[in-house]
Amino acid sequence: MSIAATITKDNKSFLARNQSWMIQSAAIIAPFIVFGIFLTFYEVNPIELYWSMVQTTFGNLYGFGEVLLKATPFILTGLAAALPAKAGLVNVGGEGQLAIGALFATWFAVFYLDTMPAMIGIPIMLLAGACGGAVWAGLVAVLKVKGKLNETITSVLLNYVAVFIVGFFVHGMLKDPNSFNWPFSPEIANTLRLPIINNTRLHVGFMIAIVLAIIVWFVLSKTRLGFKIRVLGSNRLAAERAGFQINKMYFWVLIAAGALAGIAGMIEIAGIEGRLRASVGTNFGYLGFLAAMMAWNHPLRLMASAFLLGMISVAGNKLEIFSGLPSSSVNILMALVLFFILGSGKLVKK
Amino acid sequence: MATGRNTNNYLLKTKGLTKVFGSLVANSDIDMVVKQSSIHAILGENGAGKSTLMKMLYGVYAPDGGTIMMDDQEVELHPPTKARAKGIGMVFQDFRVVPALTILDNIALSVEKGFSFNRKKLKKRIIEISTKYGLAVDPEAYVWQLDLGQRQRLEIVKVLLAEGTKIIIFDEPTSVLVPQEVEAFLNMLKMLREDGYGILLITHKINEVLAVADQVSVLRSGVLTYSASKEDGLTADELIAAMMGNKELKTVMKDTNNIFSETSLQIKSGTIKGDYGEIVIQDIDFTVKKGQIVGIAGISGSGQRELAEVLFGLRKLMKGSIELKGQACKPDVRAFLEAGVSFVSEDPIKESVIPGFSILEHMILDGMPMKKKAMGIDWKMLAQELQLSKEANSLALADGQRHADTLSGGNVQRMVLTRALIRTPEVLIISYPSRGLDIGTTRTIQQHLVELSQQGTAIVLFSEDLDELFKLSDELVVLSGKRISQPYETATTDASQIGQLMLKGEST
Repeated sequence: MSIAATITKDNKSFLARNQSWMIQSAAIIAPFIVFGIFLTFYEVNPIELYWSMVQTTFGNLYGFGEVLLKATPFILTGLAAALPAKAGLVNVGGEGQLAIGALFATWFAVFYLDTMPAMIGIPIMLLAGACGGAVWAGLVAVLKVKGKLNETITSVLLNYVAVFIVGFFVHGMLKDPNSFNWPFSPEIANTLRLPIINNTRLHVGFMIAIVLAIIVWFVLSKTRLGFKIRVLGSNRLAAERAGFQINKMYFWVLIAAGALAGIAGMIEIAGIEGRLRASVGTNFGYLGFLAAMMAWNHPLRLMASAFLLGMISVAGNKLEIFSGLPSSSVNILMALVLFFILGSGKLVKK
Repeated sequence: MATGRNTNNYLLKTKGLTKVFGSLVANSDIDMVVKQSSIHAILGENGAGKSTLMKMLYGVYAPDGGTIMMDDQEVELHPPTKARAKGIGMVFQDFRVVPALTILDNIALSVEKGFSFNRKKLKKRIIEISTKYGLAVDPEAYVWQLDLGQRQRLEIVKVLLAEGTKIIIFDEPTSVLVPQEVEAFLNMLKMLREDGYGILLITHKINEVLAVADQVSVLRSGVLTYSASKEDGLTADELIAAMMGNKELKTVMKDTNNIFSETSLQIKSGTIKGDYGEIVIQDIDFTVKKGQIVGIAGISGSGQRELAEVLFGLRKLMKGSIELKGQACKPDVRAFLEAGVSFVSEDPIKESVIPGFSILEHMILDGMPMKKKAMGIDWKMLAQELQLSKEANSLALADGQRHADTLSGGNVQRMVLTRALIRTPEVLIISYPSRGLDIGTTRTIQQHLVELSQQGTAIVLFSEDLDELFKLSDELVVLSGKRISQPYETATTDASQIGQLMLKGEST
């Protein structure tokens, strides 16, 4: 909870506040009902499926680890959307910022860090990833501040550019000489792989994401800087009249957001993939954006919504085994979640 | 009176019309009649309830009491679609148009129904109507290319083309027009009258009322205080008296023989551009000195907002320079704030209120110093300070924990005023301080301003209330026709002189 909410008990009735909370919960539950109806048409029992989702997630350590693993990049790209949202910006560029972060991280890992011990190599690789994301978000920031271009548009468009840039490198300078001409980078050194928790595939990247979410929450709700960011996001005119350096704030918020998404890219490489492919983190940026919306841009709630999206992603595989429906049909569920969130946003405001 | 008009034929009649917002009675028990072929002017100060009344007639608000009659039947006008179906059209101050479309398309949006429309036919009708009433518009021009006068003409054409329009409400129509356009506009009103329309003209410009109105109703604090028709003989003095009420025009608690020497804030041959790139104020010199209150009078839309923003560093001067205590200043709010300039904007709900933030949180934006506590803010300490502050108490500021977006307009005003005063600024730019406030609080805030000036604050006071300007100012200047008048000593000037200047500008 932000300071604004904790220290202030406004005169809205208890009911009115609960109503908004209820609408929000309904918006999370409703898509599962609609998707359930869809599933019944394909003769899949939705209750069985949802139950098995819960079972896989909480039934054993491995399944739980898988969900957390999926949720990790969503938390980070979610932060990359939520933080700018608090400043009144719409950053849809998590996708591209993640990709460039992964590129930077791989570049450093392959060319400079392959003989480094983990204690030095991993942090440097992390910084490289953050820098990559920041550079990419920096483009959006400069276009916003100097060019007065809408950041929503530029960040989306730069996603495509980013994917092609990664493609350019994995087909060229970063191509693994031993790959029989496949477009991917050489594998990074084993020392640079993130340590893994026993009996799972879960790596410490998850911890990094949690820590960063808590830091972002702390900055936003407990510090003077966060206060200013929230003022700017809620009423730009008021921020202007309070003498805030709005352009500077926009710039650095976007840079920070890019760094967060860039770290997600580094974690993908060092935690899971081990090498860079042009397809690294496909859709993670957009799903993170979705997670941020589901959490109403609240960094702590974001962890929960990312977890839920992680569950849905893992359920995709389950669905395929279960029913013969393609695993991508969970995208329908994701889309439904988005629709309901957008729709309920209007209701809550009123 | 023109011949052959059936003035007994009323189009709309209200009885006991009442509207309440929270604890504020915006309109109380209003009886009035709109006749065919007649121009009915609604006069009143800001916040007198003119807009509320018109919005009820246009169906934006449902009345809380009373009835509206049309054709001897009680009618319900809420929502506006119903009012429009009953033949009521409204030309708003802020135009409801789509800039990316042409005039033709904008009009089609509002008057055409169904799936298709005949462009040629509509174009012909637009040209017919616009030539008939002298409303020069080019149907193929894009709205974003139009100036405000042209946009207004578009709005009028739109209303005229709507089927069955009988009554047209104009909300302060001349505030967006340049003087030459005003005359043409008034002629058009007369033509509309000849053609049988009933016209409601909201305004606070008395000379326009005298020029065209057949009937006048004056509102004060939501109550109809005066109504008369042309036959009764309308005079400016009577109307002013009805608008102002029995408020005394005296300077309370203020020394009048102060001598000011130290220049605080100064504009040298400044030219200011408006939001649309048009020149709003041209080549003016303006000075306010330490401890002085300079009142700026002028009819609304004469460049007050733009000038206020320049004085706070929010808006760039197109030409000329601005100096704070003799030092040239860049247009940068931070620099102005650090130099001790405070600003109360004319639209605090839009420009100052931050949704979801408490009053206390608003206080540290350009008000109380941000008490630091580690990396955060010491809210407890601030809350205590606010509670003990003289300003908050005397202005009856609402509880610091309340969210500002739940406050009424008057309470928002109290909040921004407290914030400006609590800082004891060196220069205070303040617009319409008593807007939305009851008389008691108005007096308090005026007293605060006088005290502040005695402590050495230079105050630039924008107001539409001449009473207030005279009561508080040491010097008055008038904004009119893109110019600013020479300063007039309040003590040796009277209201009618300033009123003349507001309407006509300084004769050259």
